[in-house]
Amino acid sequence: MKLYKKEGNIIQILSFPNENAEKGDYLMVEDADAAKALIVQVIDVQFAAVPGVLEELLRTLPDGGEPIQGEDIDPLEIAPHITYIQDASLLICKIRATLESDALSPSSSWLPSRSQSIIRKLSVPMLMKLAKVDGRLPIILGGTKDSSLLTIDASALDGTLNIITGKKGCGKSHLSKLLMVSLVGYKATVVILDLNGEYSSLGMTQDGKRNMYYDKIHALTPSQNFKVSLDQLHLNVVMGIMVHALHLPGTSAREFKRIWKQLKDQGHLTLAELGEAIRNLNCNQHVRDALVSRYHSLVSSGFFTDNAAEATLLEECMMKSKENGGAIVINLRNTGNIDRQIIVEYVLGKLVDSLQNWKLKAVFLFAEEAHLYLRETYWDDIVTRMRHFGIFTTFITNQPDTIQETIYRQADNIFLFNFTNEHDLDVVSRAARVDAETVRSIARDLPPHHCLTLGRVVRDFPMVARVRALDLKTMGETRLFFT
Amino acid sequence: MIEQYTITTTPKYNFPQPTTDTTLPQRFIELSINSLRQVNMNHFQINQKTIQQDAFTETSPTQLQLKRQPLPLTPRHQETIIAAVDTSTIKIGETSTGIIIAIRGTTVWKQNRNYHYTRLGPFIFHITEDNKNSVYNSIERAYFTVQYQSSHQSAPNLMQMPMRLASLLERWLQTMLAKTVSDGIILFDGSLTSGTIDTPVQRMREILTTARRNHNTVLAFSKATSLRANGYLITDLLPNHEPPYLLETSGVRFKPPTVILGDVYVARLNKANMAFRLDIDREVPVEKKMEAVEKLIGNDVLQQSYPETLRLAHILATFTANEVLAMQHFITRKHGIQIINRPDMHRLLFGSFGKEGYA
Repeated sequence: MKLYKKEGNIIQILSFPNENAEKGDYLMVEDADAAKALIVQVIDVQFAAVPGVLEELLRTLPDGGEPIQGEDIDPLEIAPHITYIQDASLLICKIRATLESDALSPSSSWLPSRSQSIIRKLSVPMLMKLAKVDGRLPIILGGTKDSSLLTIDASALDGTLNIITGKKGCGKSHLSKLLMVSLVGYKATVVILDLNGEYSSLGMTQDGKRNMYYDKIHALTPSQNFKVSLDQLHLNVVMGIMVHALHLPGTSAREFKRIWKQLKDQGHLTLAELGEAIRNLNCNQHVRDALVSRYHSLVSSGFFTDNAAEATLLEECMMKSKENGGAIVINLRNTGNIDRQIIVEYVLGKLVDSLQNWKLKAVFLFAEEAHLYLRETYWDDIVTRMRHFGIFTTFITNQPDTIQETIYRQADNIFLFNFTNEHDLDVVSRAARVDAETVRSIARDLPPHHCLTLGRVVRDFPMVARVRALDLKTMGETRLFFT
Repeated sequence: MIEQYTITTTPKYNFPQPTTDTTLPQRFIELSINSLRQVNMNHFQINQKTIQQDAFTETSPTQLQLKRQPLPLTPRHQETIIAAVDTSTIKIGETSTGIIIAIRGTTVWKQNRNYHYTRLGPFIFHITEDNKNSVYNSIERAYFTVQYQSSHQSAPNLMQMPMRLASLLERWLQTMLAKTVSDGIILFDGSLTSGTIDTPVQRMREILTTARRNHNTVLAFSKATSLRANGYLITDLLPNHEPPYLLETSGVRFKPPTVILGDVYVARLNKANMAFRLDIDREVPVEKKMEAVEKLIGNDVLQQSYPETLRLAHILATFTANEVLAMQHFITRKHGIQIINRPDMHRLLFGSFGKEGYA
């Protein structure tokens, strides 16, 4: 390989066919005299502009498009040299760091010698060693192209905002399960807003046996094994549900608040009593109607109960998870849009409440297709206010444009699967820790189950890995008609 | 010991099997390799202007006349093999004692509506003042059983050597086609002028005789000619007549020792407003000459009035820049010759005014 050109933080390297460099590979451009080396990543592979190639190709097709048949008698065996030159490629590489005295710096301000530099491939383990991507709490994401393992540190997910995105069927949910069980393995508390009911069986192996996570997975299905009684609800949580999920106007909200406090003081905070109080409320007809309709929404959700035996204490599950780690899976599979929002408001409200009171230290929240249940104002809330309480969110989506731009700008880690759509790639490129060329060039060519990891977990050295298999009953596969 | 190479025929190449020696000249390969081994310095200067040489210029005879009456042609579609030969040479670098050149030859033939080719080379030679005669004479001895004394000085100029060697390969390829093709049309690039520095009259005569013996007709197309009638290039004097047609010439005589072994025509073979000088073996009867051109029109594709078979032979023989790079790579890798780029003195002295040919 030979250094050809440098423009900004892009360098071009001439590579010959036997050198076999591909997109995503890391190279080290060592300048022995300068005692420095550039660490660069191949983001595109192009044909080198070898003079005469066009003529070479054209003259093989002069016979109406059919290759002309013939025999080359080449006693000096020049032909391999011709193909060697013809197949030379130009590696477009992004400068990631400068290595000087065993320390990495993000500088790309110096120019290595074009004639004297030695360019060699940098293996992922070597790069990870240089970048110090090791840590005490390793999570093996998968295998890299050079058959080494890509291992990240669980602590690099701590306090971060993460996005897992890619087109349908490329393995996003699989990766989120891997991260989730790994975090649980390190005794973290994880809450999953499970839109498709695919996380509930993570305590089982593929052949239906219990696995090491069995006792740590708490699957809660609203209106089945997940119900709450009104007296478990804090006023701010219920007001959140009424205002944000059920869009109760301000005047009516004030009346509702008054009724709620009154019933609470009287010790009669039940669904039946609440309904009776609203019916007997002496107020404007519109206000009463508004309250009645919201009351019926609460009742019809099936999520609320007056039977204390039926009510599940979310806090209990949280406490169980607090000691030895655990995952609370909120199964939203068979819930309607409004009910989903009610449940999410409740869960988030409860989480904030527990965190504020230091009942929990921190929670990793995994939210699949969050735009389907998260109200708009919550996006900023999650990445700013809730993060300070200790809710560290991972958004999982196949529609990157449903996540607000502000979320991308603040994302610490992005796990990117294949996208072919330019618009989707443009959206992801807005992330602050990502350069657009890398995303556009590498993500477009990622095979299924291969993930481009960007951000803090890889110390800003984008890396591609095939996500490792898990022996978990995932239930995430799409139901098919013909198989 | 170098392996013996043979021109093996492709399955569709159903020319009559030659009774004569069609062995690829072993000597050519041996000399090529030996000459490269003799590069005893470890660097060479890459060529700054690669020249693809193939032209021979002749002075126009003063008594040349062009007959204005066209000889109309009717395409004959009777299946006939059309075969063509072309060679190419290029200087790929210089050493302190000589030059490094590459030579390649191609034969193309059209049979059963398909084109086929055989390409020989490239052969790379390191030619110096010391070895130029021995290289040339060794190859000539190895190629041609009969050695004809050229009437010109026998010691070629170093800079003429690429063309002389290429011409030698071309004549050998022409001989092989004349021997192996029967009842066909053989197309040469250039004219049937002989007695020149690199084409002894006897050698060209022998090629034409061999071709005739196998019932072939040799047609030689010149891409450019300097022949003029009444001061005008003969290919510019086209009558207002529906093509295809030939225009006859008379009075084409050159100063001895240069001899022309063909009758010279101007051929306009299709509606493209282009015509070429066409030399046809003089010993072939007029009717056969006409028939040969008509078979050519009926069997080959004509682009800009030029036969596709010959065009392909030229295209396949020509060296591309990529191939020049590959040969430089070969020399460096196989023979350890370091490429250095000496400054171009024209550029150095005259900057952007230092263009070759203007300085």
